[in-house]
Amino acid sequence: MKRPVYIFNAGELQRQQNTLRFTLADGKRRFVPVETTGEIHVFGEVSVNTKLLVFLAQNAIPLHVYNYYGYWSGSYMPREQYVSGYLTLKQAEHYLDHEMRLVLARAFVRGAMENMERVLGYYARRGVELDGQLAEIAGKKESLPLALTTEELMAVEGGCRDLYYGCWDGIVKSEEFRFEKRTRRPPANRINALVSFGNSLLYVTVLSEIHRTHLDPRIGFLHTTNQRRYTLNLDVAEVFKPIIVDRVIFSLLNRGAIQAKHFHKGTEGVFLNESGRKTFIEAYETRLKETIKHPKLGRPVSYRRLIRMELYKLEKHLMGDEPYEPFVSRW
Amino acid sequence: MYVIMVYDVNVKRVVKVLKVGRKYLEHVQNSVLEGELSPAQYKKLKHEVEKTIDPEEDTVRFYLLRTTRYLTTEELGLPSRNEPDSSFL
Repeated sequence: MKRPVYIFNAGELQRQQNTLRFTLADGKRRFVPVETTGEIHVFGEVSVNTKLLVFLAQNAIPLHVYNYYGYWSGSYMPREQYVSGYLTLKQAEHYLDHEMRLVLARAFVRGAMENMERVLGYYARRGVELDGQLAEIAGKKESLPLALTTEELMAVEGGCRDLYYGCWDGIVKSEEFRFEKRTRRPPANRINALVSFGNSLLYVTVLSEIHRTHLDPRIGFLHTTNQRRYTLNLDVAEVFKPIIVDRVIFSLLNRGAIQAKHFHKGTEGVFLNESGRKTFIEAYETRLKETIKHPKLGRPVSYRRLIRMELYKLEKHLMGDEPYEPFVSRW
Repeated sequence: MYVIMVYDVNVKRVVKVLKVGRKYLEHVQNSVLEGELSPAQYKKLKHEVEKTIDPEEDTVRFYLLRTTRYLTTEELGLPSRNEPDSSFL
């Protein structure tokens, strides 16, 4: 039972009495139980000291920092808990070998596309006219085996995503939340702001989970590994975006929980404001905690756990135990 | 499971017990802490508390709830120190 803590207020986070203490600017203190804290997300202005960082490392709690716009700025990661030279070599091997890399990259794209189909299928059953788009996506899936480079795969995925986003205006029936087209850095309208914020939360969630396995987050397969970025979390997040982030967005908008007043428009684009972010995070956390009956295990498994299991499947694939099959939602 | 920990210990050890409790649970009122724990975390907490108290003089009582679905709380007077299990700070 480890849960994340989100800090929005300004203040100081300290180690005290072998647990965590947050002192607000007005002097009010709150103790945060270390034993039940899984990760810390900092959105506000928070001061920390090295004593705290050492303590966080001892307790294997990552600290993620976000900038003014809610973008992920960086993380303080505890010293690796699990290291396996063998698995790192295997992971690199699968990256360096073109064929091996393509197998994994294709699996990620297929998982993402099938989950998009599931989300659209759900709304199609509820009377939204989506048959044409569903057929087109199915057609795009056929062309996956023909893509021979990761760039081509990315292009197929991009095309599919365009189609998918094109369906949103039919699902979200609100003039205030027209999708029009996907814009990033900065998001040009409200719905793009939601997608960007949700995706960045998911990237960080996957990153935290990767650190609890033997995998190296720097070596991704679909996304090209370069000098600085973590890429494996982006790969795995592709599979889960539709069923976690997008469903949270639909439910928030169709329930009216997020409204136009939850955004502010700066010169740099449109962003969620603090209360909007809190509402979003709350819904996102609830979704991660939600359980489904796992087809193989036959017992309830939360979405967060599902992400971890995805990583274990990847480890198995890399070690040659069992080929990786992306998670596809069943409903 | 949801754990409510209530203690009645000699003044000499009140702070010690509180310190241990705070590592796992949210401090709601004097001598009362509560929060959601896994069975393993609960076991660790119990063990740590056991080491701090004097069994001849002190009592620590745990109320265990499988879920909070049937738990309602009401309050009179000043609000509690902390709202348990909130993800926001």
